[in-house]
Amino acid sequence: MAEDLKKEDGLAKARRILQNYDGPKVRIMEVCGTHTHEIFRQGVRRVLSPQIEMISGPGCPVCVTAVTFIDEAISLALDHGCTITTFGDLVRVPGTKKSLQIARGEGANVKVVYTPLDAVAYAKDHPQEEVVFLAVGFETTTPSECLAVEKAMEEGLTNFSLLTANKTMPAAYEAMKDATDLYLYPGHVHAIIGNKICEDMLQEGVSGVVGGFTGKEILTALAVGVTEFQKGKPFFKNCYPRVVTGEGSPQAMELVDKMMEPCDQEWRGIGLLKNSGMQLRGEYAAYDARKKFDLSGIIGKPNPACRCGQVLQGAIKPHECPCFGTACTPEHPVGACMVSSEGACSAWYLYGDLANKPLNK
Amino acid sequence: MCVGLSAKVVSLKDGMAIVDASGAKRSISAQLLTDLNPGDYVMVHAGTAIAKITDNDTDETDSLLEEL
Repeated sequence: MAEDLKKEDGLAKARRILQNYDGPKVRIMEVCGTHTHEIFRQGVRRVLSPQIEMISGPGCPVCVTAVTFIDEAISLALDHGCTITTFGDLVRVPGTKKSLQIARGEGANVKVVYTPLDAVAYAKDHPQEEVVFLAVGFETTTPSECLAVEKAMEEGLTNFSLLTANKTMPAAYEAMKDATDLYLYPGHVHAIIGNKICEDMLQEGVSGVVGGFTGKEILTALAVGVTEFQKGKPFFKNCYPRVVTGEGSPQAMELVDKMMEPCDQEWRGIGLLKNSGMQLRGEYAAYDARKKFDLSGIIGKPNPACRCGQVLQGAIKPHECPCFGTACTPEHPVGACMVSSEGACSAWYLYGDLANKPLNK
Repeated sequence: MCVGLSAKVVSLKDGMAIVDASGAKRSISAQLLTDLNPGDYVMVHAGTAIAKITDNDTDETDSLLEEL
């Protein structure tokens, strides 16, 4: 009982700070899709002072997956007869003409898996099939994809490869730093890469807090953030030290560094960002679907009506896109931000009115 | 796909772990963490344990808020 009271007190204090904040206007960008979804789902926006604006950044890996990548995956399935294995939320992301879901109806073999290691197990059980895993994601997901290639090598498999579109979060921080006053850094990413990048951003004058994902962890990180922001000097605070340490995960970073190298990467709606991606190193070319199969000449064309790019850069709110809620809905998404449950448009569609309506104080 | 889940390690064998996430048991890779034991809590992402969780969230958030 005493512990319950203590818990309520902490939560009440964070909420009071955020509700009553009357300092300078502050734009806070949550870069990660998990944060976007949880902030909406838990009604965090409802308790924020009007002086605090939340912006959903480009950290949902599905949302920033380029049209060209989807077209490449469809070509692998339909032109090269590959079996595509993928996380489920990529299946409905529109390519230039169609999604993998529609390609399924034309004969594409698309399997949804929980982890890249499941894709390796599938390849082992189906030696007659060429199995390609769609490797998207940030620092949290890339190590799992490297482990999958390592496992395929251990098993002596020659019918498994990755189609890579891996991205790195620091590139997003750099690209978006002028659109925000304060970053809510994603705790799980920094569990892998540590806090050095946050310290580096601080040297550039960019403030931020690392936060966890429960309602209380998010409110605490935001309360710490606005309190520090009010002092007027750039700052960084790790509000998730039980998971995030300064050095991150050396094992994960060594594994990724051994198998992958930085490359330029296209971000849907944003464009090509230099050194923002990861691809398999040359010695792993046998596991690189782009090298194994001829995918040259595939250049995707985004739907011109979709304004996901501006949403991802915080320039407009999802409901300001002319497609939102009419041509573009979770059932029939035009843009990737409406596909993934972590996408800003999807979260806005599901929770928008309710989540943004202020609570009566 | 970006969601990290916390889970309790039930058993470990050959670089894999059985974890319990709110009652659901699942086999995951434990290769990225070297000092895991049954009973530890981990953050799981895309079928891999990516970090050990060392404290409880209430203690952590309360101590951060006390500083404000």
